[in-house]
Amino acid sequence: MMLEMESLSKSFGGLMAINHLDLDVYEGEILGLIGPNGSGKTTLFNLISGLFKPDSGKIKLNGIDITHLSSHKICQMGIARTFQLTKPFAQMTTLENVMVGKAFGRTPTWSMREAKEEAEKILEFIGLSEKGMWRASALGVVDRKKLETARALATKPKLLLLDEMMAGLTPTEVEEAMVLVKKIRDSGITLIVVEHVMEAILGISDRVVAINAGEKIAEGAPQDVVREKKVIEAYLGEEA
Amino acid sequence: MVQFLAQTFVNGINVGALYGLAAVGLSLIFGVMRILNVAHGEFLMVGGYIGFWLFKLYGVDPFMGLPLVGIFLFLIGIVFYKVVFSRVAKFHEEVKLKNSLLIAFGLYLIFPQIAMVLWTADERAISPKYSGQAFDLLGVRFGYVPLWNVCVAVVIVLAMYLFLNKTYFGKSLRGTAESWKAAKLSGINIEWTFMITFGLGISLAGIAGVLIALTQELTPVMGMPWTLKALIVVVLAGMGSIVGAFVAGLILGIVEAVSAIFMGPYTIAIGLLIFLIILVLRPRGLFGRA
Amino acid sequence: MPKNWKSFSIFGGTIALLALLPLFTNRSDVLTWSCLTLQYILLSQSWNIIGGYAGQVNLGHAAFFGLGALTTRYLWLAGLPFPVSLLSGAFIATVFALLIGIPAFRLRGIYFVIGTLVLAEILKVVIDTRFPVASALSTETLLTYSLIPRYYLSLMGAVLSVIAVYFISRSRLGLGMMATREDEDAAKTSGVSILQNKLIAFAISTFLAGLAGGIFAFYMVAIQPGYVFSPIWTFDSVVIVFVGGIGTLIGPIIGSVFFVLLKQWLSLHLPGGSHLAVFGVLFILVVLYMPDGFIEAIRRFGKMMTLGRKPAVQGR
Repeated sequence: MMLEMESLSKSFGGLMAINHLDLDVYEGEILGLIGPNGSGKTTLFNLISGLFKPDSGKIKLNGIDITHLSSHKICQMGIARTFQLTKPFAQMTTLENVMVGKAFGRTPTWSMREAKEEAEKILEFIGLSEKGMWRASALGVVDRKKLETARALATKPKLLLLDEMMAGLTPTEVEEAMVLVKKIRDSGITLIVVEHVMEAILGISDRVVAINAGEKIAEGAPQDVVREKKVIEAYLGEEA
Repeated sequence: MVQFLAQTFVNGINVGALYGLAAVGLSLIFGVMRILNVAHGEFLMVGGYIGFWLFKLYGVDPFMGLPLVGIFLFLIGIVFYKVVFSRVAKFHEEVKLKNSLLIAFGLYLIFPQIAMVLWTADERAISPKYSGQAFDLLGVRFGYVPLWNVCVAVVIVLAMYLFLNKTYFGKSLRGTAESWKAAKLSGINIEWTFMITFGLGISLAGIAGVLIALTQELTPVMGMPWTLKALIVVVLAGMGSIVGAFVAGLILGIVEAVSAIFMGPYTIAIGLLIFLIILVLRPRGLFGRA
Repeated sequence: MPKNWKSFSIFGGTIALLALLPLFTNRSDVLTWSCLTLQYILLSQSWNIIGGYAGQVNLGHAAFFGLGALTTRYLWLAGLPFPVSLLSGAFIATVFALLIGIPAFRLRGIYFVIGTLVLAEILKVVIDTRFPVASALSTETLLTYSLIPRYYLSLMGAVLSVIAVYFISRSRLGLGMMATREDEDAAKTSGVSILQNKLIAFAISTFLAGLAGGIFAFYMVAIQPGYVFSPIWTFDSVVIVFVGGIGTLIGPIIGSVFFVLLKQWLSLHLPGGSHLAVFGVLFILVVLYMPDGFIEAIRRFGKMMTLGRKPAVQGR
């Protein structure tokens, strides 16, 4: 077991965003996380990556309690993430963005040359090489998502959290993204993927967990979970 | 001895009420718009000088003239919002904060220059006939003017409290403070809200300025010291609490009055000390929400 | 690589020329203005580090300038060798910086702004109260006063600041600082320690500011102690950085030259301190409309003009 979340709770004002959630993530898997808007998926990512601290409960990475560690330490321990609304370092170049990940991540370096070389390799892997010297603010939406992922990969994570990476992509781009996610897993990284695009979830996940109102409502094989009554109701409820 | 302490306490309240009133406008603007107006004291100074002009040139009693100053500074606030701050008001929080700070900082440099041209560097004050009068109660001296100041301040703060909590517009202000995006979705006109809020905050500064001019000197460079007092009070109170800001002002006034006994002219350092203590022990202030 | 050599030789050449300046001219006004410009380069680069690269708006920069100035002045006049006095001044400035920075940087940005503002104002008032009398140099020191060593000291300070910014911008520290500036959450989750980066940037910035103060204290014949804490020093640094181009190496250099020239021109044609008002307005315009700097805006405007689409323009 790579990541264990025990009875995790987080509320904002009077609103319970995460409600005594238990969730385990196994090494080497791609875990799909689904749920309607506002169900707590991004809050969960924020809790795991240390941007929020839970009101109660524990998060353990390979047995080590990381619940109260600061975000940068959590990254250095091997958890990286992307953001739903991308957060590039806008005034820095694409290359520099990725260099930050390498320089400060799990395998940090003080050598700018090493950071640069590694960043170039990753940009190559993800297909952004020609735009390396572009200012990040000049990148289009799709490239920004790639940059987000590249930067996270540069931190050499053991666990990567992808937050709606495929939102707004064309079907072809979704296909490419799915291939990318599998390539990432094959390189030895465990993934938790939050997506609304159901074909993608079905296509890449080994296992799926569905949450609603901060609670787990279903868990299991992808095709089973998306067909479960509770899950369908949760999504329909969203449309109402 | 008891009398001495009581007098110190009263002196502290007198000044503290002014600190509190000065802070209320600042807190309002920051709370609703997330703009930290470090030129707040400059508008306070302008209000004071306008009150001075009304008194000196037209014989308007300063207390009677308060509504006039209030309205005039309200309009000035709206103008400054429209011309200068509206461009940055709708940015993402960090950028907005940075840019608005820099702009306000620029105003902080400009205003004293203009004030010096209009009113010279000489110290002025508003001194109506009843200025120095006071009455004694149990050996403690209560000046009429400081007493009136405290009353006016309390009334204004109460009025603000009622306005923010009981009127529709006031509640929409608070809603905008919580989240302007959510407020927008509820149909609140953000541009108007920001504009009115800013005008209101500046108006409060101006009124405070007149009251201050009744008990202290007006100088072109009085702006920043008052801005800082207001900032310390807001930090002490915690962001987002209007009444809390007033109470914190009173507390600061009393603490300073007591410290003055053994710190003399270095009493001003107490403000920094309080600020540092709050930072370390209780950053969200005495009344602030998390 | 070849590209870098060109910049390096321009830089080296400029320094050489500046170093030789006193040999070519005896005019004290030229030396004075050069001296001041170099000191402004040092001071504005120091603000550029915290405000430009790290993105933390320090509105109390004068506090550190002043601390460096007074500490250096008093130690030097008390008999301590000047280099020791100078370094002590810079050191004291940094100590005060950490006093504010360590508690403030753990919290939201506004606490840092308020903290630095409060520190600067309080120091100004306390110093004005405690040391109201101007410090003047003794007659024997006056007799041996020469602008030349002060010129070289200012030159060294300016060069040091440019080198510091150069290395920061190309180092891991610079990456961390800029990431902090751009997006703290993204930086944090990429492994950057926000607190550490802000503190280091602030320490370097205030050390250089203290150095600038010390050099100024050495340069001035008489100093009103409260004057070196005047907010005008903060404002000048900020205006220069913004006008020249914030977060760039060359911005503060161009900005300083432009600033000193403009200030001289304005003070000749405008009464009293009203050049401050002019700078204030210019500053606000730059913040609102020219985020890349006034100089950059002019350059782009010039480009736009020369690429003129209308034939009428070419007809000129």
